[in-house]
Amino acid sequence: MKNLLLIFIFATFSFSSELNTYLSNLKKEAAKENPNFKEFNIKRGEEIFTSKHIGKKGKKIACTSCHGIDLTKKSENYFTAKEIEPLSKKVNPTRLTDVKKVKKWLRRNFKDVYNRVGTAQEKGDVLVYILNK
Amino acid sequence: MRTLILLIFINLSLFSSNIKKDVPLVSNKLYINECGACHFAYFPGLLPQNSWEKLMSDLENHFGDDATIDKKTFQTLSKFLNENSAEKNMNYKRSRKIVQSIPKDKIYIAISKTPYIHKKHKEIKKHLITQKEVKGLFNCTACHQGAKKAIFNDDDVDIPNYGKWED
Repeated sequence: MKNLLLIFIFATFSFSSELNTYLSNLKKEAAKENPNFKEFNIKRGEEIFTSKHIGKKGKKIACTSCHGIDLTKKSENYFTAKEIEPLSKKVNPTRLTDVKKVKKWLRRNFKDVYNRVGTAQEKGDVLVYILNK
Repeated sequence: MRTLILLIFINLSLFSSNIKKDVPLVSNKLYINECGACHFAYFPGLLPQNSWEKLMSDLENHFGDDATIDKKTFQTLSKFLNENSAEKNMNYKRSRKIVQSIPKDKIYIAISKTPYIHKKHKEIKKHLITQKEVKGLFNCTACHQGAKKAIFNDDDVDIPNYGKWED
């Protein structure tokens, strides 16, 4: 039983550690970009995630256009209607565990919604917002 | 006796030509995960190789979206698409018809724009295609019930807010 618990703790730790490393790297980068930067902020992340912008396609969209407002629920791609699994780790524990995947989607989706790449601070803010959902 | 031989020959030629319906049902896990994350994972047999190559050469502007992938993924997906493309599957009815409908000097990257697929959808009222349950011709699964199994015959079509398609 004790072993099982240890394995569980280890598994949980190793799952999140990859993302934690990525977040701390982003933090260092953000501090370089902005001398006043202290911590990633959920409130700023919410603003990034929910506000509308003229995206790559010339349409006014937000992250929520495809991911929805309630991140514990399934949603669908605004343009293709393809189903998107919930972003919230509460219902979808494997979300935000694969850093390679996380980087890929941050890169693509900032371009799709903001028509530019995201800054390190923006990426961190939006990640802590999603992690909190 | 002569008739019998003739019949055997007809039979043999029918079997050996081996005409199949639709397009080959092929799958690739990486393809489903990468391309299928945003849209229906279209079967490679729906476009010829030169179309896939053109499409893959500009993933940064993939129908208006950024669909860039890493080099290794790119190579795996390109190989999968090219090895199973339409012109290599001319024994499949729809792969053949798509290929034959494309003029020699044309390269289409949208399946729905190829003359054959365009013609097959021409009679459908526009509002049925643009309605929110469908959004566009790119959304095969909205109406083709068996699309995921590479079944695209008319009997299998059920259009939201319209019903079964009677040709």
